[in-house]
Order: sequence, then C-alpha cells, then structure tokens
Amino acid sequence: MAGRPLAPRIGRAVLLAFFSALFVLYVAGPVAWLVSSSLQTEAQITAIPPNWLPPEVNFGNFDAILNAAERQVTYETRRQGDPATGGFLPSGAANLIPSLWNSLTVGLWVAALNLLLSVTAAYAIAVIDFRGRRATLYTVLATRVVPDIALIVPLFLVIRNLGLINTLGALVVTYLAITVPFTIFILISYFEGIPRDLYRAARIDGCGHWGALRHVYLPLSLPALVASLTFAFLTSWNEFVFALVLTQNVAAQTLPIVISGFVMDFTTSFSFVNAAGVIAIIPPVLMAVLFQRYIVSGLTAGAVKG
Amino acid sequence: MLARLNRKFGYDERSAAILVFPVVAVLLVVAAYPILYSFWVSLHDIVLTRPLRRPFVGGDNYLRIFGDERFWLAVSRTTVYTVVTVVVTTVLAVLVALLLNETFPGQRILSAVLLVPWATPSVVNGLMWKWIYDPTYGLLNALLLKVGLIERYRAWLGDPDLTLMLIANAAVWKQMPLAALLLIVTMKAIPDDLYRAAKVDGANVLQRFVHVTLPALRPGLMLVLVYETMISIRHFDLFLIMTQGGPGDASFTLSWLIYVETFRSLRFGTGAAMSYVLAMATFLLSWAVIRWLGKRI
Repeated sequence: MAGRPLAPRIGRAVLLAFFSALFVLYVAGPVAWLVSSSLQTEAQITAIPPNWLPPEVNFGNFDAILNAAERQVTYETRRQGDPATGGFLPSGAANLIPSLWNSLTVGLWVAALNLLLSVTAAYAIAVIDFRGRRATLYTVLATRVVPDIALIVPLFLVIRNLGLINTLGALVVTYLAITVPFTIFILISYFEGIPRDLYRAARIDGCGHWGALRHVYLPLSLPALVASLTFAFLTSWNEFVFALVLTQNVAAQTLPIVISGFVMDFTTSFSFVNAAGVIAIIPPVLMAVLFQRYIVSGLTAGAVKG
Repeated sequence: MLARLNRKFGYDERSAAILVFPVVAVLLVVAAYPILYSFWVSLHDIVLTRPLRRPFVGGDNYLRIFGDERFWLAVSRTTVYTVVTVVVTTVLAVLVALLLNETFPGQRILSAVLLVPWATPSVVNGLMWKWIYDPTYGLLNALLLKVGLIERYRAWLGDPDLTLMLIANAAVWKQMPLAALLLIVTMKAIPDDLYRAAKVDGANVLQRFVHVTLPALRPGLMLVLVYETMISIRHFDLFLIMTQGGPGDASFTLSWLIYVETFRSLRFGTGAAMSYVLAMATFLLSWAVIRWLGKRI
C-alpha cells in the first residue's frame, strides 16, 4: 500500500467516505427520524417545518404509553393521556405491556422449540445416509414455497376447529412452520461443512448418532445455532399476518397487532405511534447487532454453494 | 458380514426416523394438512355468513376468479410491485455489497448498521414510512421543499401513480440488507488472483466488475432473485398498514385481494382458490428463475 501514489489513495478515501455517508443516511436515517419523533411532544412533531432533532429530549410519550394501564384509558379520557400537549393516547394503549409479554413468551418458545426440532432433523438429513433423505429435505423446503397468505384460511379453520383461537400456543406452533424449514436449510449447509473424518472418528470411538451430534456437531456449529435462535426469535417477534388472524384480544395479541391498531386509529397522536414503534424495534435491533457475527456466518453458510 | 451390514443399515434408518419424526409431525399439522385442506376448501362454495350449506362446486371457484376483473387488476398490481421491489433491492444490494466488501475504517460499524432494517418488524417499517410520507408533517415533504424539488406539500401515499412505488421503497429498505449479506459472502469467495490477472490485462474498475465480479456473483444473485421474488409477491403487512389497497385501487395486490375476499367478504372458497393460484404462480416463477439462471451459469 505504502508504495502506491498518494492521489489514488485520497480519491479512494473520498469515494468511500461519500458512499458510506449515503449508506448510513439511507439505512439508518428513517429509524433515526422515528426515534427523534418519539422523543418530541405532539406540538413539536407537528411543527412546520419539522424539528429534525428534538428541541429537548422528552420521554413523556413512553411514560404515557407504558403507564396507560394504570390510568384506565377510555375513548373519553384519552385526551388527558399527555396533558402537556393534548395528544390523543391510543385507546388500546393499556394492551401494550401485556402484548409485549405475549411477544416475548411466544418468541422464546419458538426460538427454543425451533432449535430442538431443526437440529435433530438437520443432523439426520446432512449426516445419515438413509432412504428417503432427499424426499424428506424437499418436502420440508416445499412447505415454504406456499405463501403465508395462502395458509391463512386453512390454518385459521384448523386452529379454530382445535379450539385454539386466541391462544399463545397456536402462535408458537404456527411460527414453527415458518422457522423450521429455513433453520433446517441453514443447519444442513453448516453441518455439511464439518469434516466427515470427525464423524467417522466419533463413530469408531463408539458414539451413536446421538453421541456424534452432541460431541461433534453441536460444539462445532455454535455460530449457526446462535443464528438460528436469533432468526427464530426475530421472525416470531416481527410476524404479523398470522397473529392478526389467529388472535382476538389481549390474552394472545402480540406487539405488532397492538401497534397496527394504534396506526389505524386515525385520532391517535403521531408521537405515541412513533414511541410504540421504537419500543417494538429495540429488542430485535439490539439482538441483531449483538449477535452480528453469528448471524452473518450462520445465515449465509449456504450462500456460497448456491 | 451381510448380517452386520444389515444391522448397521437398520441403525441408521431407525435413528434418522426418530430424529426426523418431530419435524415431520409438526409440519404435517401446521403446513401439509392446511395446504391440502386449502385445496379442499377451494373446491367448495364456503361462505362464513352461511355456515351450514357448503356445496361442492369443483372448479367453479377457479373459473369465477379468472372471470373476475378485480383478480386481473390485482395480478397486474402485484406484478409491477414485485418486479420493482426485486430489481431495486438487487441493484442496491450489489452496490452495498461492493461498498462493504472493501476494507476501511468504520466498515464493521456499517455492517452492524446494515442489520437494523433487517431486524425491524414490518409493522414498524410500515408506520415509519407512513410517517415519513405524511402529507402535513412528513419528512419527505419538508426535505424536498428545502431542496427545492417541490413547491408545496403533497399527499404522497394519496397519489395513485406513486403509491405502489412508495410501498415498494419501504419493502426495499427492509429487504436489501439480507440480499447484500448474501452477496458479500459470495464476493468474499472470489479469489484475489482473478482481479490481479484482470489488472495485468489492463482492465479498469468497471471492466473488472463486469468481467470478474458479476460472473462470480451469479450463484449469489440467483439465490437473491428467487428469494426476493418469493417474499415480495406475498407481501401483505405494508399494504394493510400503509394504504389498505387504496387510494382507489392503486395498491390492490393479490395478497390484499385474498385478505379482503376471505376476512371481509368471508368467502372462504374463492379466497382459498386465489391462494392456490398465488402459490402455484410463486412456485412456477421460482422454478423458472432457477432453470433460466441455472442454464446461464
């Protein structure tokens, strides 16, 4: 590098800085604006021209939403939601905290069960040469070719006939159908990258398939396992359509459903909607950034082979 | 010897059966059974407001769909939306991958930032862009006015010519990161020697991109194209949050039509038939893309 002439190096630095700035503006800009609006009062975010940054940082929106349950928000009393600005608190605001717990519960169950189911199946398909191996793999993957919207009608009827409408269990089982095929696909690519000799050595040492999975494959695929857990939790946390159809009230509604209710309530103040959006964004974004390296290597394991 | 081989074979098969069984059981209940059930429903005239009479009508639901002009309108909206989303996502993803494949200070921070849209729930994505497009207080209006591109505020999502594109923009923002990640991994696998050889031959940056990077990116691009098509064609969340099919019928896509037909008109039979048509179209499309691109590798 040192031997190269100065001018091209400066040119490269300027280009990289320019495109990096464009990149950050496009990718992070919208979220930054969401966060900025959630920290402003209703009067401040409805100013024209808008305040790009909050004039002063104000957690009033979060406070009003998170404590809505204690104030009994009804259609008549919600104007007092934020006395400072006269903003309208969404009438479903009291459901936000329960739905947050619902989302968390469903997400953790899906993450755990998804890993348990997928690891065993992926091991069998990737490592054991059994009859029907290809058929099993294709069947599992084929279930994801059908669009979610096409599954909604029959799934609704199935869940309704089982009497499971408006339960968290119905959501967990449904989300597994989404996450399991993709997780199996990822884990298979990962397992196939583990040298076959290790497997043979384990078998010669007297390990059965269960032993080989536990002592060879699991310890060596930590990134893929963490990626699978994160992926399943995020999918469950973010899912909207199935939850919309399969849940009816606060007993099972997840965060996206309650928030979509805020958005479609035309009298709701923007500041509250934005604050609710920020609350929903924090857990998945933190998780993604925290586990960045695992996610990238886990999610993309199969990409090189195409 | 033969007996031993047999036993060994038996052990493998037995283990595989035990390991695969739980997944197969779950998928049978929540995927395979609903898919078949859906087909059965699509052959019956089931209307939820009339729950006791559900006559078998064979292919009538399908015939009725194909004669329904709303269906063809929805097909054209979905096609435009999907093509725009997939093409823009892929082009942006290639550009982002080229940037993040370079080594420079701050590159790791940018890679972390890239995951933010990927992790954002689609409902929040929808409300965020709806807020940006807001006719009175939105950032887009303020920004364009400041730069001088518009003279007065406009109701962006209320403009039938723009709605679909604006929703596509929100979709691209969320989908681009995963596509870029897949492409970066493919790029990292390109041997440096190829670039050096091209440089020795006197190829400039653009020529190196066209003749070295692009051909080597084919497997990654194929994966991205198929995956993005499959998920864009079924998008629903953004439409519900941002426009509900409107203004007029400007964002009346297939998934929106299926939702309206099923859960507002409660006509489950035709809803299921439409779902089946969409599923088959998605399947054939991905198959065609794989075949087409597969031949060119």
